[in-house]
This record gives sequence, structure tokens and C-alpha cells, in this order.
Amino acid sequence: MKTLMSMVLAGLVGLTAWTGAVIAAPEYTKQQVVYHINGDNPKQQAGALRNIQNHINAVGAENLDLRVVMHGNGVSLVLLPEALPQVPKFKHANADEQMQAKIDGLKDQGVAFKVCANTLNGRKVNREDQLYNVDNGDVVPSGVAELAHLQAQGFTYIKP
Amino acid sequence: MRSEDDLELNAFVDGELSPDQQAELLEAMRNDPDLARQACELGQLKAQLRLAYADPPEPQRQGVAKVGASWQAIAAGFLLLAVGLVSGWSLHANAPGLGIEGNRFVVLDPEGRGQAPAVAADEETRIVFHLTNPDQTAAGELLDEVEAMLAAYQADGRALRVEVVSHSEGLDLLRDRLSRHKERIHDLAGQFSNLTFVACQNTINRLKVERGIEVKLLPDAEVIDSGVNHVVKRQKEGWSYIRV
Repeated sequence: MKTLMSMVLAGLVGLTAWTGAVIAAPEYTKQQVVYHINGDNPKQQAGALRNIQNHINAVGAENLDLRVVMHGNGVSLVLLPEALPQVPKFKHANADEQMQAKIDGLKDQGVAFKVCANTLNGRKVNREDQLYNVDNGDVVPSGVAELAHLQAQGFTYIKP
Repeated sequence: MRSEDDLELNAFVDGELSPDQQAELLEAMRNDPDLARQACELGQLKAQLRLAYADPPEPQRQGVAKVGASWQAIAAGFLLLAVGLVSGWSLHANAPGLGIEGNRFVVLDPEGRGQAPAVAADEETRIVFHLTNPDQTAAGELLDEVEAMLAAYQADGRALRVEVVSHSEGLDLLRDRLSRHKERIHDLAGQFSNLTFVACQNTINRLKVERGIEVKLLPDAEVIDSGVNHVVKRQKEGWSYIRV
């Protein structure tokens, strides 16, 4: 019985290692980077997006898995200016046309923009009407937990 | 070292000293790197021991094998202990600043927070928040996030350790006179033994030298010699890092 159990266990471990290797192999050369945005200064945010563009220029979009995680005031990056009066917990709404163009440009190069659900709930933000191009898949349960999770996966953390 | 000192150091690490005695010993450690190192080592050893025995192997329930099973359990316990001691020692040996030349020390509070074992159990999420910002509204939001996360992990039975390292202007959060979140911090620290607030000694010293301020910290704050060193060390140990 014990032998059988240990064989099954060894088999499972082996299988996990094997599938892990198969899935992980093509990603191996990719740089994994997460940018953290939690401030609402529009100049700083535009600067962060410029950093990201420079990063892509240096490394090549095909060699990058780059994600932006926004929480707290950082969500102002994708908050539409016309929505600002309805969300009193925000002082800035920075997703004007210029910012939208920058965000679109980065998305076209494979950058993922992730928004914290805790912030959306806590500040009563309506994702569909008040944010610029944030769909369900772009919302993570907790921005902080996402940052920790990605780093545990091997992502490099950058706070511009 | 004299044996009274030894006893006192043990009592300190176990959190059995009165606040006055603690303060006296802390002062002594500030002046005596060797003493600080001993306290640090003792704390680590105790943490390793706890780690080794935290999850004892399940006894087998197969009648005849009873004696054998308990021997196995003891052997496994010793093996875990040995692994803990060896890895602890090698980590210690490799850690810069922990040697005799360094004056690193970790202050341990009565509940034993701040003595995170460097060797994490598998699947334990470890996050160090680096707070350098004087904005206490943002710090309040950080506490919200941290609390939500601690509660979620606790509810799911997942292991999590969180350290909030406050440094430079971020120290305000842990200063008795300036903190706007005193009660909150006290409640959180009481509620979650896996949450630690850490203050930077360099910042405290600088405030004293440059501005003549005697910093009084909240009772729940640990002190570390250098906040920057500490967050670097944590990242080397595999902790996730988040700048606030």
C-alpha cells in the first residue's frame, strides 16, 4: 500500500515537473516585468508610460511580458475625465485623449493593464462607464496581491 | 558572555522582559554589535526550532507499527531540525552584514514578531512594503490593502507574511506623535501575528542629529538598523517587494 502510494506520488511529481517544463520552455527567454502605478500625478503617469515605451524599444516587444498594475490613486490613469464628478474619492482623472492614445499604443505592443477590484469597489467606480477600455479580464481581485503573485512568478518589479 | 547576560538575552528573545529591561538591553545592543548579533542569532535559532516543530509528521495508526511510528516521527523531527539548523546557519553565513563586522540587529517584540524565519515554508507568500512617503492617506490605503489581504489569506488558510518597513519620511506612520493610524496599527498588529511594522534606526538617528528630535515609536513597531538594507535582504530571500 505504502509502495503504491509513493509510486503514485512520484508519478504526480514527475508529471507536474514535466508539464511545467513543457509550458515554461517557450517563455524562457522573455523578460517578465511588472510596473506598479499607485499615484495620480498625470505627469508622473505619462512619464511611466514613456519609461515603458523605452523599455519596449530597448528589449523588443516580442521579448517582453510586460504588465501594468494600478491600484488606489493609480487607477486615475484609466479614469475618464467626464466621470470624475461621480467618483469623489479621486482627485484626478487622467484618461484624456492623449493618455488614451498612449495606452492604446502600448496595448498594441502587448502591454497588459490590470486594475485592482478592491479600488473599484472601495471607490465605487463603474468599470464599463467610467474607465477607458478596461474589460473584465483586466480586473484583478487585489492589486497588491497581483504584484506579489507576479514577483513570485519571476516578474521584475519596477515602480516608476 | 556571563551567564546572567545569557539568561537575560534568552528572556529578551522570548519576550519576557519588562519594557524597561527591554529598553536597557536595546541600548546595550546599540553600543555592542556583538551582543546584538548574539540576540539576532538566538532569535533565528528559536524561529528555526519553531519552524521545525510547527508541522509535526502525522503519527501512523496501524497498531503494530506504533513504536516504529513514534520513532519515525522523532527521527523526522530531528531531520527537520537538522535541515532547519543547517540552512539557517548557511543563510547566516552568507548574509552580508550579519557577520561580526556588521552591526545589524533585529528587535523582537514580546509576541515574537519580526523574527521571520528566512527559510519560508512552501507556498508561503511573503511581501515587504517599503514606505518612504509621508502621505498618511496613502498609508491608510496601504493598511486597507494589507488588512484585506491578511483576512483573505487567513480565511483560505493560506500562509502569508507581511512586513511594512517605514523609512525616511515614511517613518511618520510609526511615530507616536505623528501617526494618524495609531489605533489601527495596534489593532492590526494584535489581530495578525504574521504582520510586522518595522522602523528604520538610521532615520531615527538622523532625525535626532539633524533636527534634535527624540523619536518615540508606536509600541507595535520593530526597529531595524537600516530600512534599505532590510528590504534588499528580504528581496534576496525571495520576498515580493512593493514600494508604497
